[in-house]
Amino acid sequence: MDVVAGRAFANERRPIRHVDWLLIVITLGLSVVGLFLLYSATNQTLRQDGLDPFTRVSKQAFTIGLGVVVLLVMSSVDYRFFKVYAGFIYLASLLALVLVRIPGIGSTDSTGTAQRWFALGGIQITPSEFCKLALIVMLAAVLSELRTPEPTLADLLKLLGLAAVPLVLVFLQPDIGTSIGITAIVVGMLIVAGTRLKHLLILTAVGVVLIGLVFQTDAIENYQRARLVAFLDPQNASADVRYNLDQSLIAVGSGGLTGKGYLNGTQTNLDYVPEQHTDFIFTVAGEEFGFLGAIALLALFALLLWRAIRIAWMAKDPFGTYVAAGIASMFAVQMFVNVGMVIGIMPITGIPLPFLSYGGTSILVSFAGVGMLESIHMRRFL
Amino acid sequence: MEKASSRLRVLALLVALMFVSLSTRLWFLQVLATQRFEKEARDNSARLVYTDPLRGQIYDAEGRLLVVNQESLELRITPDQLGDEGEAVVGRVAKLTDVPIADIVSKLQDKRYLPTQAIPVAEFVPKEVDFYIHEHPTRFPGVEVEQTSVRSYPFGRLAAHVLGWTGLIDAEQYAALQKEGYGPNDIVGTSGLESVYEPYLRGERGKQKLIVNADGETIQALGTIPPTPGDDLALALDARVQRLAEKALAEGMVRARAYHDQNGRPYQANAGAVVVLDANTGGVVAMVSNPGFDPSWYVHGLTPQQQKYLTKNANAPSVNRATQLTYQPGSTFKSITGLTAIKEGFATMSGYYPCEGTYTKPGDTSGTEFNNWTDANLGSMTISHALVVSCDTVFDAFGADFYDQYVQNSLGTHGDLLERDLHDWGFESPTGVDLPAEATGLVPDPAWAETARAADGSRLFPYGWVPGGDILTMIGSGYVQVTPLQLAQAYAAIANGGQLCRPHLVDQILAPDGSPAKRVDSRCDRTIPYSPQELGYVRGALRGVVATGGTAACAFSGFPTSQVAVAGKTGTAERTGFQDTSWFASMVGPDPDHPQYVIVTMVEQGGFGGQTAAPITRQVIDALYPTIGDAGQPGCISSDR
Repeated sequence: MDVVAGRAFANERRPIRHVDWLLIVITLGLSVVGLFLLYSATNQTLRQDGLDPFTRVSKQAFTIGLGVVVLLVMSSVDYRFFKVYAGFIYLASLLALVLVRIPGIGSTDSTGTAQRWFALGGIQITPSEFCKLALIVMLAAVLSELRTPEPTLADLLKLLGLAAVPLVLVFLQPDIGTSIGITAIVVGMLIVAGTRLKHLLILTAVGVVLIGLVFQTDAIENYQRARLVAFLDPQNASADVRYNLDQSLIAVGSGGLTGKGYLNGTQTNLDYVPEQHTDFIFTVAGEEFGFLGAIALLALFALLLWRAIRIAWMAKDPFGTYVAAGIASMFAVQMFVNVGMVIGIMPITGIPLPFLSYGGTSILVSFAGVGMLESIHMRRFL
Repeated sequence: MEKASSRLRVLALLVALMFVSLSTRLWFLQVLATQRFEKEARDNSARLVYTDPLRGQIYDAEGRLLVVNQESLELRITPDQLGDEGEAVVGRVAKLTDVPIADIVSKLQDKRYLPTQAIPVAEFVPKEVDFYIHEHPTRFPGVEVEQTSVRSYPFGRLAAHVLGWTGLIDAEQYAALQKEGYGPNDIVGTSGLESVYEPYLRGERGKQKLIVNADGETIQALGTIPPTPGDDLALALDARVQRLAEKALAEGMVRARAYHDQNGRPYQANAGAVVVLDANTGGVVAMVSNPGFDPSWYVHGLTPQQQKYLTKNANAPSVNRATQLTYQPGSTFKSITGLTAIKEGFATMSGYYPCEGTYTKPGDTSGTEFNNWTDANLGSMTISHALVVSCDTVFDAFGADFYDQYVQNSLGTHGDLLERDLHDWGFESPTGVDLPAEATGLVPDPAWAETARAADGSRLFPYGWVPGGDILTMIGSGYVQVTPLQLAQAYAAIANGGQLCRPHLVDQILAPDGSPAKRVDSRCDRTIPYSPQELGYVRGALRGVVATGGTAACAFSGFPTSQVAVAGKTGTAERTGFQDTSWFASMVGPDPDHPQYVIVTMVEQGGFGGQTAAPITRQVIDALYPTIGDAGQPGCISSDR
């Protein structure tokens, strides 16, 4: 009886029995909504160029399929495995960030200003996206081994040093969007680790000063400076710099309460919003489905984040908690900065909306993140 | 983990704050401010479509078309839109259009244009190329083929300097013309008549406001305004005379190179100009500048060789020598300075004046001597005869008189009388011809000498204004500089009895319906202060120049002067560091008292006026009067000045 009961209990604890199905549904829901928005954003221009209007949608659907595979793989791997190899994963991600800057290995975008990805047989791999996950694993591994209930100043400096290396490398690419993402991950995880408010405030102050200093140097491109100035002082910004934001605001604002209806957005169809299928995909939702649609989409993200934080809370060990919290922070800040810039409360930085923006690496990393969340959730009784 | 859960609550709270701020902002944008954005979205969906007008055409005096429009498929490349594979795209375009890659690249890299402009790289592209590019848009980013109308020149290189050329608006012009509705890919007149009459030739763009639906399809067309073609130009220029004058100058320059100067070197005869004016109206019947170019080069876009020829050549082929460069007029100036001497009372029409081998100003102790072209003392002669044989020393003496007059009146206000008198003839100011960048020329005077001295540290005029200033100006030498057109304008005043007429190429500007688009003011609104007798006296004297014993006798031997009277003056102007400039300025017409045309011929480094410029002029006269049956007298070795 004991044996049987024990077996029954063991059976009960099998990871496969504890999948967070709601998280899967939300993830797939966001992805499918993304495909619909992507079709609306791209079909007209593709038609005008005489191409198949589904070109981008099918490519994105393929990436999502790939993402599902990644999700399955990541969730079937015990997340504690990552803790063991955290150092290797972290170093490998740094190596990729360095390699991508070597001409001939890394590829440059069309404007020739930023060097960000590897071209692998027609697929662009952006190492800065992967490095976010690597950093989460690394920080979680360090945090979970702390002897004190809250990190000491020495711990903090060690953690910040670990984060600073990829942050600087990404910033130099230059990729301000990902830099913000990395910063958010660090802050989110430090909060969950119980960092003292005093330390957090000092950290914030130092960060602000550093950002101010960087903007005085040549480390950032002129267009990035112009965007920030345009955000802080919109009245005096040139029409060029404001164009993206103006068209984006018109698209979202003209959507009204209920929107213009699917495929009926004039801003969307006439290609007024630049980069609409990537960073500005949210404008399609805002214009064609209105306030209600936009809120519904935000609600999906809220559910996603609720599940992520819930997993952090339910995790069996501190490492799981920190990883889940890091992933939650990553999703939250990307969502907030992306939607915020589309509706004009954040500066334009070029950060993708998880699961919705067109682009391979962002999708794959998002699915990998969900896979890790699932792995933590499924093994909460083991 | 209890601690962790409370900290996770902090994280959850922060996330909740994010959603609150995003929702609030969305509420403001989409619910409270939506009307404003709806209006802006509507405005976005009204599109203005422009149609380019046909540019005005240019006719000659006989109604022949000199510049017309031709339909063309134009291939343009916008450098900024080429993308990552710019080189590959350019390579494909080169293969498709047979334009060498280097040519395309040099056009795209032209600093005058913005990288956001669609730069034309090939004209008259075959239809198949257009189709191919449209079928493969991904292989040709930034490449477009547009139906345009381009300039075409039925007479080829004829009158290229006068007609000028058109080209893609450059960054500088665009900045200046943007306010007047010019677009970044517009074609504008860049030189010659095309540039001066740009506001007339251009016409007005057609406009159409289109309302487009969400699919980008036109639902409604509002307020269509069709394009208005540009105005046409009817020129005073006669293409037949122009063609023959171009031929005469080119042949004359070749002939000149067979002769040698006093140092035994062949004449360079590297450049020249011919101006034919209607003596009574100032209309430009022909205006030639050699070397020249083909205006259609600009239509196809300059190849590197053409670019090099036009900009790197020492002879500056794109410069119009009739109006844009100045020269010493040499003895052709004596017809005019002789009249000023009579006007100021230094000479009379009947008086006799010594023509010695050397002139020295009485009382001058500096030892300065002014030599005639011959050492011999030719004795005393009238001004008329002094013009026929081109005696310098007779005129030197008048120059000295002007100087003395200046010295005596140096406290007066009028400065140098000679300069003031020459201003009456239009010298040292642009003629106002309807061509761009006209040169002003120079009549030296005491004030100018003062500035010249100050500017170069007293190398020039170390003692201020000296007698030599007036003496040399008197014979068209020294520092005096005129354009061939200024000289022609002055000779026209001698020919027509004293009216200074503004030279002009365009006779009438015609609206597309053929009616005059602009009333033309009288061009002969100035007179020169000389009596008909005085002017007639000079015309009579100059008829002697082409007769036996005159400096152009050889060039005009056998010419039927009984049918067409020719009154002209040779000029051989010395030019430091170069061979002499050859001149012949003349008035011709059946009625000796009322010449019809003024012809001024100038050949740089062409030698004697009677030897090079006069025979060219004779060929031009033959072109003006084809019925007199003159066969010309091209070869004529004459050292007459």
